[in-house]
Amino acid sequence: MLSRKKFIKQAALASGAIMFNSSVASAADYITPIRLTILHTNDTHSRIDPFPMDGSSNQGLGGVTARAELISKIRAAEEHVLLLDAGDIFQGTPYFNVFKGETEIKAMAAMKYDACTIGNHDFDAGMENLATQLTNHASFPMLVSNYDFTNTPMEYKTAPYKIFKKGRLKIGVFGIGIEGSGLIADNLFGNTKYLDPVQKANELSDLLLREKKCDMIICLSHLGFKYKDNKISDEILAKETEGIDLIIGGHTHTFFDNPIIYKNKKGSDVIVNQVGWAGIVLGRIDFEFSKFSGKKIMGNHNLFVSQKTIG
Amino acid sequence: MKKKLFLLFIISFSIFIASCKVTYRATVLQFKNYKISDTIQVSKTIQSLVKPYKDSMQKNMGVVIGHADKLLDKKLPESSLGNFMADACFKMAEKKYKTNIDVAFVNYGGIRLSEIPKGNITKGQIYELMPFDNLLIIQKLKGNVLQKFLDLTASQGGVPMSGMTMRIVDSQTGKKAIDVLIGGKPIDPDAIYNVVNPDYVANGGDDAIMLKNIPQISAGYLVRDALFDYIKELSAAGKHITAQVENRVTYAQ
Repeated sequence: MLSRKKFIKQAALASGAIMFNSSVASAADYITPIRLTILHTNDTHSRIDPFPMDGSSNQGLGGVTARAELISKIRAAEEHVLLLDAGDIFQGTPYFNVFKGETEIKAMAAMKYDACTIGNHDFDAGMENLATQLTNHASFPMLVSNYDFTNTPMEYKTAPYKIFKKGRLKIGVFGIGIEGSGLIADNLFGNTKYLDPVQKANELSDLLLREKKCDMIICLSHLGFKYKDNKISDEILAKETEGIDLIIGGHTHTFFDNPIIYKNKKGSDVIVNQVGWAGIVLGRIDFEFSKFSGKKIMGNHNLFVSQKTIG
Repeated sequence: MKKKLFLLFIISFSIFIASCKVTYRATVLQFKNYKISDTIQVSKTIQSLVKPYKDSMQKNMGVVIGHADKLLDKKLPESSLGNFMADACFKMAEKKYKTNIDVAFVNYGGIRLSEIPKGNITKGQIYELMPFDNLLIIQKLKGNVLQKFLDLTASQGGVPMSGMTMRIVDSQTGKKAIDVLIGGKPIDPDAIYNVVNPDYVANGGDDAIMLKNIPQISAGYLVRDALFDYIKELSAAGKHITAQVENRVTYAQ
């Protein structure tokens, strides 16, 4: 049995050690930010092979084998990676006409995509087919929060959001789909109900931020970058919502030279990025997270943005 | 006793540190766009995953079915690629439905290659050009309904068409189609025209709501098959694709 004196001495040493460790850890956290690498594609449109070498302007570009190799190299160099897609995985090459999306989904699963959202062309071979391809071949969730699939073959096949834990970070990702009417044939869209993107985005941001305590909110959107009229777009979504940090866009096949920064309803930065189509470009955005006291999170904040020169 | 106090202090301080609410926030962003090109090595894993699909595809899709004398490109308000496709739909609808056709349209957004280079054309290219299983259908449209549809296409910057010409003009209520000539004659608001469209458009796609409730004559014939059949006919007659821009759709000044 330990003497009382010895016990006190050991206990003091132990708590000293705890205190020392935790303060060292905190100090290190303040000094060394946590890095998160977001890799993203959109509108890959069944482009399994690179564009053929036929003199067209995109010849030799794209292709899943090169994309996969690049992704695995980045994964080897970075600890925390999220690989995301903003929809329209299907349609565009004979691979889809013949195999109905099997090749595309299998390749994405092999590249270890973390999540995707749904594009209008993902309905092209029918909802039943999409459900089958996801069930049989996908290892990642299809996220969409503003489609109500009740009483359709896609019921229970998607999720509104998913939270990814990366080190000490919690990243909330949710999906937004485009209005089907006038775009997706009635027989393909079926009983799907389209819900207001701004309302859903605010609902989910609120849930992910306040209830689920996420450190970052990403929206995978197939709304399209922007339009001449007031049609809902990523630009409008960015400005009219609060809580989203990053919108990975698609649909309009827009090649961004750099991510575009908008101010949301509360004056905080929202980043929008899109990388054209056909897997010609893989987008990469690296965030550095620093530690703050809990109170500051609700205030508006700005990002320091620069182009990555290496890696 | 001093030691006890010190211990208490240490314990409470540790608790304080541990309970201190901290949160992470992104402060720095760096971006990079990687062009995916053949300078990047290929992933062997993905290559072997894709191979069986690719082999089966190439056997089928590599077949040469025709020849383009010059590059066919996709542009608005009019382009060689659009004219080739609209002409194919016009000619093949006439043949398939054994009736006279007045005009044929192809939805611009449904053209999924931006160009077809000069030279041989493969079956696979036509699949890429028109991957959708859209049907080639006929609607009997009154001139005034056709005019509404043309105004819509004018507001969208034009549409590939065959059998007619028009000019796009800016008006106070947006862009309109004027000087519409069908088969060389001015459009008659009361006449009935045989109009060919992909069923996607006839079902109200691309905002063509004026077409939505009009009956369709359909033989279950795919737009893509019309393209195949048209090219096969040209090839069988020893002809190449020679489509060009010929002022079917222009802007009025």
